[in-house]
Amino acid sequence: MSTFDSDKAAETHRHLHSHMPSDPALRVKALESLAVERGLVAPESLDAWVELYADHIGPKRGASVVARSWVDEDFRARLLDDAAAAIREFGFEGHATGHLKAVENTKETHNLVVCTLCSCYPFSILGMSPAWYKSVAYRARAVREPRAVLSEFGVDIGADISVRVWDSTAELRYIVIPERPAGSDGLDEAALAALVTRNSMIGTDRDLKGTS
Amino acid sequence: MDGIHDLGGMEGLGAVDVDAPPFTHDWERRQWALSKNLAVPAGTIDFWRHGIERMDPKTYLSVPYFEKWCLNDLTHFILAGEFTLEEATSGTTKRTGPRAEVRNLEVQRHRLSSNEVRFDRPAQTEAVFAVGDTVTTQRHGHSGHTRLPAYARGATGTITHHHGAHLYPDDGAHGIETAHHLYTVEFTAPELWGDNANPNDTVLLDLWEPYFARP
Repeated sequence: MSTFDSDKAAETHRHLHSHMPSDPALRVKALESLAVERGLVAPESLDAWVELYADHIGPKRGASVVARSWVDEDFRARLLDDAAAAIREFGFEGHATGHLKAVENTKETHNLVVCTLCSCYPFSILGMSPAWYKSVAYRARAVREPRAVLSEFGVDIGADISVRVWDSTAELRYIVIPERPAGSDGLDEAALAALVTRNSMIGTDRDLKGTS
Repeated sequence: MDGIHDLGGMEGLGAVDVDAPPFTHDWERRQWALSKNLAVPAGTIDFWRHGIERMDPKTYLSVPYFEKWCLNDLTHFILAGEFTLEEATSGTTKRTGPRAEVRNLEVQRHRLSSNEVRFDRPAQTEAVFAVGDTVTTQRHGHSGHTRLPAYARGATGTITHHHGAHLYPDDGAHGIETAHHLYTVEFTAPELWGDNANPNDTVLLDLWEPYFARP
């Protein structure tokens, strides 16, 4: 039972950092060993979770949703109205998408997603977040100088285009719907999904290529 | 709290490593799996997050991301009385339990899709604000867990969405369940960062009603 004791949490953190072996691999091993010995988790369950995220849960899910939004106007409307409900049509609901919101790029606007206070991310639809998303540099700078950050990703945004930065401060999670690329006419939904990059759904990519 | 985690707008941190992959080491994957498979007894997601906020600032900045999760999970097990400090630092226990049930891939897939937690709750009060209203955030925060970042304190913006009432993290971190109206507020970049910021740019935050000065 949690005590919700903030000062005790600080003290415990300090103690652990001073007294545990300094190698993070050993620290994680200590947690796993304790949890397994205590019967809180089986190592095979951890293997299965790692496999789930390596092979089955990832940005391809988000890409399928984006591709459908390009070919099906009714779906796009449902997605923009209530993304958490719309992704259930794919069976993609789950971890951190209970309050998913889709925001669309247009000729005049570009959307960028960050979590300045921790690292909130819509895992069930985009998989594990890239390390840069969790980095202090990205979290600090995305809200203050988004255009400079974007240029480090090779994305240069015209000064007349409005950049909207979404800081995930509550339990809403965000997915950016990039614009359908020129030259993609005639591609079917699966081929369109292959054009959608993970970064374009976070907002650190903008102009997608029309052929894969 | 004015903690090291509240990074929005901090300067001098260097370039973004744009090519960094989600995981570099196996122990990172392992920690991710541990955090999502152990019922870490933090009580609420808010107190779990607050635990990370209470790390020593020097440690917060110097240890890898998933190491923070490891230290924080251990901290919450210790606070709840389920592990001792000695067990955590030695990585072994004499208090063994029966072997846990194995969750295979299909079970894990089901756990993920059924883990769609919702944070909205029936509203206990009428919403004070509406879409289109201009609001100003509180100038001062408090020393507990809060989701009003320092860079957006004392700032004036426009409400773009009203989400009904959601669980309020500032109380959740104390184990108290309250819900307050939640709004998305759009601030212009010059309001937050000064006249050199591009006037076309905005930052949008999801903020609870107690974060606003009363009209």
